[in-house]
Amino acid sequence: MTTQNPMLVTASAWLLFLAFVGYVAATLFYASGFIGGRISQGAKFAKVGNWATNAHAAGVLFHAAAIIARWQGAGHWPTSNMYEFIGFMAFTSMLAFQVINRIFRMHLLGALVSPTGVFLMAYSYVFPPKVAPLVPALKSYWLPIHVSLAALGEGFFAVAFGAALLYLLRVRGLELAARDEVAATASGPLPATPTTLSREERQAPWERVWGQRAMEVLFYGMSVMLGFTLLALILRYSGFQWIFDTATYHLPPIIGPLGEAVGSKGSLLGLPLPLVEAPTWMRGKHMNTMLYSLVLGGLIYGFVRAFLTKGPVGDWLARRVSGDSETLDEISYRAVAIGYPVFTLGGLIFAMLWAKEAWGDYWFWDPKETWALIAWLTYTAYLHLRISRGWGGRRAAWVAVLGFGVILFTLIGVNLLIVGVHSYAGGDL
Amino acid sequence: MRLAAAKCEGCGAAVPEGGSFCPACGRSQGTAERPRQVQSGWTAFVDRAWDFFASTRVATVLIILLALGSVAGSLVEQEHLYQDWRLPDMYYPDRYGPFWGRLYMALGLTHAYTSIWYVTLVLLVVVSLIICSLHRLIPLHRTLVKPQVWKLSHFIRRQEVTGETAGTLDGMESSLRKRGFKVVRDRECLYADRGRISRYGPYIIHIGLLLVAFSAMGKALPAMNQVRDVWVPDGQTVKVPETDFAITNHKFTMELYPSGAPSRFATDAAVVKGGQEVARQTIEVNHPLRYEGWDIYQASWREEPGIAHVAVVDSGGRPVATLPVDLRNPAAEYAVTDTVKLVVQSYFHDFVVDSATNQPTNASFEVKNPVLLADFVESATGKTVGKAALLVLGQTPPIFEGAYRLEVQKVETRWYTALKLHKDHTVPFMYFGLFVVMLGMVITFFWFHWQIWVREESGRLLLGARAYKNKFGLKQEVRRLLGTDSGEGKIA
Repeated sequence: MTTQNPMLVTASAWLLFLAFVGYVAATLFYASGFIGGRISQGAKFAKVGNWATNAHAAGVLFHAAAIIARWQGAGHWPTSNMYEFIGFMAFTSMLAFQVINRIFRMHLLGALVSPTGVFLMAYSYVFPPKVAPLVPALKSYWLPIHVSLAALGEGFFAVAFGAALLYLLRVRGLELAARDEVAATASGPLPATPTTLSREERQAPWERVWGQRAMEVLFYGMSVMLGFTLLALILRYSGFQWIFDTATYHLPPIIGPLGEAVGSKGSLLGLPLPLVEAPTWMRGKHMNTMLYSLVLGGLIYGFVRAFLTKGPVGDWLARRVSGDSETLDEISYRAVAIGYPVFTLGGLIFAMLWAKEAWGDYWFWDPKETWALIAWLTYTAYLHLRISRGWGGRRAAWVAVLGFGVILFTLIGVNLLIVGVHSYAGGDL
Repeated sequence: MRLAAAKCEGCGAAVPEGGSFCPACGRSQGTAERPRQVQSGWTAFVDRAWDFFASTRVATVLIILLALGSVAGSLVEQEHLYQDWRLPDMYYPDRYGPFWGRLYMALGLTHAYTSIWYVTLVLLVVVSLIICSLHRLIPLHRTLVKPQVWKLSHFIRRQEVTGETAGTLDGMESSLRKRGFKVVRDRECLYADRGRISRYGPYIIHIGLLLVAFSAMGKALPAMNQVRDVWVPDGQTVKVPETDFAITNHKFTMELYPSGAPSRFATDAAVVKGGQEVARQTIEVNHPLRYEGWDIYQASWREEPGIAHVAVVDSGGRPVATLPVDLRNPAAEYAVTDTVKLVVQSYFHDFVVDSATNQPTNASFEVKNPVLLADFVESATGKTVGKAALLVLGQTPPIFEGAYRLEVQKVETRWYTALKLHKDHTVPFMYFGLFVVMLGMVITFFWFHWQIWVREESGRLLLGARAYKNKFGLKQEVRRLLGTDSGEGKIA
């Protein structure tokens, strides 16, 4: 039924690699343009930003070609498994960045968003890239429409996340700079918040206590995802395995599958394997991988904090981020304002129409659907925060950051942690 | 004598005679103009409730609470989604442990989205949607239709985008009109706006969301949403419960990929009404059959041992006859020869010996371990000439007494298709609601409302503009209006 063309699939892999190179080059150009511009005070590196944008655009074109080649090669629209979907999501994020960059031209944003695309692509290689034939449920014209449009909306949310994070860092940087200035000129107690910031940019009471910590947790979370990706990529090609009846582990099984005796796989460094049995509510294998990722993420974060930034990572970055905070806020809002209707149509409305056609009801409260709704509610809250006087600015930016976390959980977490009717989209980790 | 000063209605401080406001607390005096001051407890309550729900902050908090409530429900397996035959009372204590299982059930977390707290939250959001919209829409409409045109220069200078140029109001009016602005003038001032409809967008979304919410609630009403499940074996017709039609499964097909994964499920199905086929179509996943408001879906399938071809073998090892035994529903007796028949004494489709009663019984509803116990009887006299027991799917040697024994030659598989029937009257309303939501979103996010005030002052035009979205676009628009790029006006 589906004719496959292996040559096109191979071509697609090479095009994808070129796209990857484009994004990496763009990341380096954006970063060097920004850092070089800062050091030389704008005298040099003025053109590097344009090179970056061109490299990025070339990456997007290669990526589009790769998607078309795989579509033709596999015989179906390439959003049918996690490998394809995460790659597609990387594409839509980069496309969204191109759109936003046409309007605002902020190279600093590119320095943050391009590596997000690089990361997403690296993450997609965690999943088996084999072309698998479609299960009957996915054979519908809704597959390209629903998934692509939802991913496009999510791509804009990724850009909004980048801009919101930069906004939070920038405002924090202004706050720190003002505080330093006060400390340099006057003695006595420091004001908690400098008065040069607008009302929206000033810290809310909770933020005074939790803001810095939340930022560090965010960077730790990013380290965990990075650690997880590295780990998974290394494992895929290392070939270690511990075989249980219900699952095959590629990492030493500290948390064994449900029903496996402790110590049934010998021991490692004197510790019995598995060390504990998985609880009923989560698959042992996923929990095991998560444990390793949390530890590795902690190591990465700890290394950066101890040797690179020598203190809180957020504050270190905040002192180095420049740009107009208002523009960053505006970028974040515009990205949401484009992504929100697209996501509503693709991620919710078309999903409902498809569900009605495939399963008989437009809404099941299946975990994936529910989490799409939660993501939608989060961005709805963001839009309402912005129009509530005094709740815009920082609060809204935090919600935009959180919103992208919800999106990532909807796409990845739900598949790995919760099993539902979308479970065919799950990968083997 | 001086008249006694009145007392403030709010704080009780003395208010000078004829004073409209309290000097202490600033509250306006005089009940005639302020009907809200003379209130019964009830109207005061309604007033407060109105103000509460009209707040954007309250709406935001409700949205966040709804999101958190939805999270809770996604973490516990829901009653309508778990795949187990047991009832919730038995299932959850086993799934999550006796304490947590019962706690989740008590908190309604096992049916979170129909639980009292979730429905209450949704209702609060609905109330907030209605009141927020009413509270803002009418004043907004008034200011959009009858804007204040005459403005002080100090107001104009305070706008997001401001500029100055030489020229006349007439010239500005015509260039604004050319650019698609609606223009109103008042003395030395001018007001122009474009994309006004964008401001109504959020309220259109809200109306759409209310339609969606009401459609979803309508589903709970009796007869609005009907669901039936039928299992139809190949080649048979099954009546759909509580309807006037039946469904025939002409043939169920499952196709596989070379890897063994399924590629297609399909049922060649027909709707039968009054003995006549009124509709026939191949039902597939993603391709339901539609008939008189019913949507008929391919939901699942099952195969089970269907008909066993049982050979009757005599003592010489010669087969005497072959009997087709329906393992779901065997006949009471089968003719073996002209003189002998096989009389079924007992039959179990999933044989097991109940440990409590020590009696044979069925372990499940499925045909898993069919066991047939039968007698060979002379047709003419009714005399039992032999006995046989047959484990249809087992490899055990035949158990028999007398001249005949039973041997299974082959077992035909019987395919069942599971069809799900839905008749949901709320669907058109839901879809219309979704359409309105989407329309509102397009209007809200892809149209921009730009307002421009212009004031003529000593031969120069002072311009101030405000954007509800897309400030950058507005800046460019003002640039074009003022001719900044050709060096005429300047923009701040």
